[in-house]
Amino acid sequence: MDKLLKLLEDGHARTIVQLAMELNTSSEDVRRKVEYLEMIGVIRRISMTASSCKGCSGCGGEGHGDGKGGCSGCMPSGDLLHMGDMWEVVKR
Amino acid sequence: MSKLTTIALLGQPNSGKSTLFNALTGLHQHVGNWPGKTVEKKEGTFTHDGKEYALADLPGSYSLSANSDEEVITRDFISSGKADVVCILADSSQLERSLFMTADYVGITVPCFLVLNMSDVAKEQGKKIDAKALEKKLGVPVILFSATDTKSYEPFYTALEKAISSGKTIDASALEEAYHKIDGYQEIKSLIPDNLIPGYSSTWLAAKAIENDPVVTAKLTNNLPDEVMGKLKSLAVSGKGAIATGECKFAWIDSVLDGAVSSSKTSVSLGKLDRIYTHKFWGKPAVVLTVLLGLIASFIPALPLMGVGMGVDALKGVVATALANAGCPAFVMGLICDVGIQSLSYVIKMLGFVFGVTLVFGMLEEVGVMARISYVFDNTMGKLGLQGKSVMPFLVSFGCTMGGAAGARVIDNWGQKVLTIALAWAVPCGAAWAIIPMLSTVFFGAGAPLIIVALLLVMLLHMWVTAKVFGAGLVKSKDRYGMIMELPPYHKPKWGALLRYVFGRTKDTFLRVIKVVLLVCVIFWLLSYSGNGNGSSILYRIGVAIEPVTKLVGLPWQLFLAFIASSVGKEGAVGVISALYTGSDYGAAFSRAMSGGGAAANLNEILLANVGRPEALAFIFAITFNLPCVVALAATYQEIHSAKWTAKIALYYTVTALILACIAYHVGMLIW
Repeated sequence: MDKLLKLLEDGHARTIVQLAMELNTSSEDVRRKVEYLEMIGVIRRISMTASSCKGCSGCGGEGHGDGKGGCSGCMPSGDLLHMGDMWEVVKR
Repeated sequence: MSKLTTIALLGQPNSGKSTLFNALTGLHQHVGNWPGKTVEKKEGTFTHDGKEYALADLPGSYSLSANSDEEVITRDFISSGKADVVCILADSSQLERSLFMTADYVGITVPCFLVLNMSDVAKEQGKKIDAKALEKKLGVPVILFSATDTKSYEPFYTALEKAISSGKTIDASALEEAYHKIDGYQEIKSLIPDNLIPGYSSTWLAAKAIENDPVVTAKLTNNLPDEVMGKLKSLAVSGKGAIATGECKFAWIDSVLDGAVSSSKTSVSLGKLDRIYTHKFWGKPAVVLTVLLGLIASFIPALPLMGVGMGVDALKGVVATALANAGCPAFVMGLICDVGIQSLSYVIKMLGFVFGVTLVFGMLEEVGVMARISYVFDNTMGKLGLQGKSVMPFLVSFGCTMGGAAGARVIDNWGQKVLTIALAWAVPCGAAWAIIPMLSTVFFGAGAPLIIVALLLVMLLHMWVTAKVFGAGLVKSKDRYGMIMELPPYHKPKWGALLRYVFGRTKDTFLRVIKVVLLVCVIFWLLSYSGNGNGSSILYRIGVAIEPVTKLVGLPWQLFLAFIASSVGKEGAVGVISALYTGSDYGAAFSRAMSGGGAAANLNEILLANVGRPEALAFIFAITFNLPCVVALAATYQEIHSAKWTAKIALYYTVTALILACIAYHVGMLIW
């Protein structure tokens, strides 16, 4: 996992498959390690869902509202469902 | 009666614990909460071979570290001594991953057995698992099992009884050996007193201490010398210790599985399409080409609706004649025809593009291309001084800038957040995607896709310049880590759901846009209305007065007012055009209609007669790159909490839109 993090230091994004190829391992192996690194808080999943609604005064307010229901100040809920997952390294 | 034997079910979420629990206990279960926690507690009893057992379903958790309530409850239950035996569940179909809980259990002294659940799924995947070999390596009973197959539970009971009678725990020697290589492990282990926490061996506790487990570390503070505590602290930095033990655990899992599991292994490789999209050099052109082709394709479904819009436009003449015959006053007639029908005609023409663009982008997203776009542009984001995830707010901004501003919330750095929103404004939003292609088609006919391509290129340039303008004051260059991405597999779009989404969105847009357009149109129509043609209206006089200035950027006064209105909402521009470019002289139009000399003048013709192509080009650039709308302005303020920066960005956009209009006008003059 140190190697994996080291690879990311160059600033380039990588897919799970690319990481597996560079680390000469299987994508399952990378996936479980990514899961572990997320668990211990070294990396963080990037969430683009409306769940980050806290403190949004747009809720209940009248807004642009795509009419998708929910909060108009937040992410439209019907969009970006197939974007896959992304993780970023948590800086300390 | 003897004491019940208590079994604790331990497993990660989705390991099939609940299925097993329900199958074993049936109706004999009690559901409540763990004391003081909101985590569900499930307990039950069952009888087998005349013996009664109590079963506790421990909350599903990833591992046994003390990161969550679930994990603390699980650990406390085990150390309380309530469990006589622990049944660990793992998902047979992905043992490399799901055996992590087992690896984390190594070193716990409560007897256990391992149930490899969902063996049917593993079998389907062509995996052959040798439970006997695993049993030999682990030293505890291991069974292949399928909790859903309730008829074949006999092996479960056998393993259970064996685990209880033998009282064995997992052989820790192999893992222990790996731990020895971690700097400081042996020292820490030797300092841990016996029975510090009941049920946990010093091996387990030392590993947890290295992982910076808060509960274990707190217990050890009094037992370890400062020097060792300092070492633990240094291991806690960026999860160094946890990475080291995690690496040991994964290696242990692999060695346990080695020789015990055989599967038809597929080598790791990228799919054909991904080889292009993730290519260092070709990735970007491939993505850009895909999007452009998509945009051009989106014009196809739009064209029939353009036709319908024109049909509605033509109705004006018919309705005007009918109204005149009914003795309707000119004012009412103007309101119905110029405002009502005219606006409706425009909105219908726009809808085709809303439909087309939503369909194409919805499809690209559903197929999985959008995810590749965010991968391809990750590096570009870095060059703009942004994090890779900024690409998400940008993509959302194609729908609605407010969504983009809200989406920028994922960016924790304030400066980068402000810059992201500032750049997201340059991305044409859904309303722009409705108006711009429509106006482009009206003015440039078949050349419209070229205009769109030019706009997109200018957008990229705009974002780059804007990043340079604002970037210096907002972001400092810093070490940047690359993102890890799991790209979704390509799959065929689900047409039903996609069409429902597109139709729903088109309907919403119709309702919103028709309101704005009608309102703006009525206001401007009234302002420009005068009983005898538009020669004496207030608006006309103001317009003519400011025209020398607006002409500088290539905009006639009517279009300049439309530009101003587009700051409120892009749709507003259409309302203004609709009001100011009607065949305002109703007397003439009426008499023409009456005399049968053709229908009332078609708006397209009026527009084309009054507005030159360079002016139209200037206008299209001006409204595309104007500030998105007042609501987006408010959303931006809400996200960045700085009136100064919000005003700065808004002013910047108004000015650059006019500059771009000016450039477009002069370029247009050169072409036409």
